[in-house]
Amino acid sequence: MRIELKREGGVAFFPGLNRPRGLDLASLPPETAEALQRAVREARFFEQPATVGTAARGADRIRYTITVEDDGGRRHSVQLLEPVEEPHLRALLELLKQAEKTQRASARAQHP
Amino acid sequence: MRPHSRHRHSLHCILPPYLSREIARNGTREQRERILRTLSIDTTFRSMRVARGAMIPLGQRLIPSPMMVESQLQRTIYDMKNTEALPGTVVRTEGQGDTSDVCVNEAYNGLGATYDLFWEVFARNSIDGMGMPLHAHVHYGENYNNAFWDGERMVFGDGDGDLFNRFTIAVDIIGHELTHGVTEHDGPLTYFSQSGALNESISDVFGSLVKQRVLNQKADQADWLIGEGLFTDNVEGVALRSMKDPGTAYDDDVLGKDPQPGHMRSFVKTWEDNGGVHINSGIPNRAFYLVATQLGGYAWERAGHIWYEALRDPRLRSNAGFGSFARLTVMAAGRLYGSDKDEEKAVRDAWNQVGIRVSRERAGEPAWGPGVQLPQQAQQQPPTH
Ligand SMILES: [Zn+2]
Repeated sequence: MRIELKREGGVAFFPGLNRPRGLDLASLPPETAEALQRAVREARFFEQPATVGTAARGADRIRYTITVEDDGGRRHSVQLLEPVEEPHLRALLELLKQAEKTQRASARAQHP
Repeated sequence: MRPHSRHRHSLHCILPPYLSREIARNGTREQRERILRTLSIDTTFRSMRVARGAMIPLGQRLIPSPMMVESQLQRTIYDMKNTEALPGTVVRTEGQGDTSDVCVNEAYNGLGATYDLFWEVFARNSIDGMGMPLHAHVHYGENYNNAFWDGERMVFGDGDGDLFNRFTIAVDIIGHELTHGVTEHDGPLTYFSQSGALNESISDVFGSLVKQRVLNQKADQADWLIGEGLFTDNVEGVALRSMKDPGTAYDDDVLGKDPQPGHMRSFVKTWEDNGGVHINSGIPNRAFYLVATQLGGYAWERAGHIWYEALRDPRLRSNAGFGSFARLTVMAAGRLYGSDKDEEKAVRDAWNQVGIRVSRERAGEPAWGPGVQLPQQAQQQPPTH
């Protein structure tokens, strides 16, 4: 399974963070990969609409786009506008951000 | 007795607002004109007409509510305890002392500093001008790298500690978020493309003024950075943006390079970031910086008043581009300080330097009177994508 996380907006635009970040679950620690798979399942990710949440008002909110491609070749994208109210999608997003942070830290340790 | 009656006489404010109103009612014509320049309680054009000849009974128009003679600062800080389920728990209300939580105190003080700028300098009573209570929510989410305005309240994350520190650390960011509320109320400027970049720029301008006022800095002493202190040591950069030199705030492996242009020739066309609202805001940001430094002194005095006047101009459309906002600032400068005086020249010149020409003819004020209709606002819908 591959998961991509892309973010747009927030109080500033960072070109580096705006690029979609891909996570190949095979390259993650097994417990992280399992947790992510479970989160995708619990969020019923493939049944979610393309956009969750609307922004009639407000400013500086982040818009996340999560794309999941499973090993069977299924692919689906969901756009989330914060604050994300749905608890399972929120949990998935949290896990993704955590995994991203861990990846960055290990990359930094290898190439200081 | 209110525990926090505010009788602050700011050195940099011509007079405290309640005193200004007394003069507006009872002062001489010269006194009135001087005060009305700073006192934008009612709409710009009413004040304008009043200042020009007291055509409207002063007491009626200038004082919409008899309650508005004293500060109505009303802050509530909520602790989200690292969840995203708003509103969280109230941890500090107006008048209560410091807590042991630095985020709570920074939010409380930052809201206070922002309220004070709008109240003491622009005679505006909170976000809506009617004393709207201010709500800030800290410790939002886990490792949350952002601060936002949701249409009702300000929300601040702790940062992930890897790239970002807590978002309450920068008082200009608090001012930035609160100003989004002001713009939403007065503008509103559609959060997309050029009008969205203006919306962003106005938040940076007043956010920066909050910080400069807290630090008592004149225009040439300020760093003109937005969000200084937000980055951790892991990031190659000083702040989120630079109003002085857009595009130079950071250049980092993870974050990339600051994409802001400081001139129309580098205007970025994109569908991302709501059409580049945090990118192209560099252009009007730099225009403001140029006005403020050209005029000298405290930036909130003349430059700030000109921008505030333009924001409140009923002719500012929700889909305004840089050019029409520029024109309104030139007109505001002429109206407030006299046509063809230093202020108007500085404003025109600043826009010119960022590639926006406001021609003399077009900046001239159109006929304006009770019978004149406002231009119809064409609704611009942001794309859904
Ligand atoms: Zn903003």
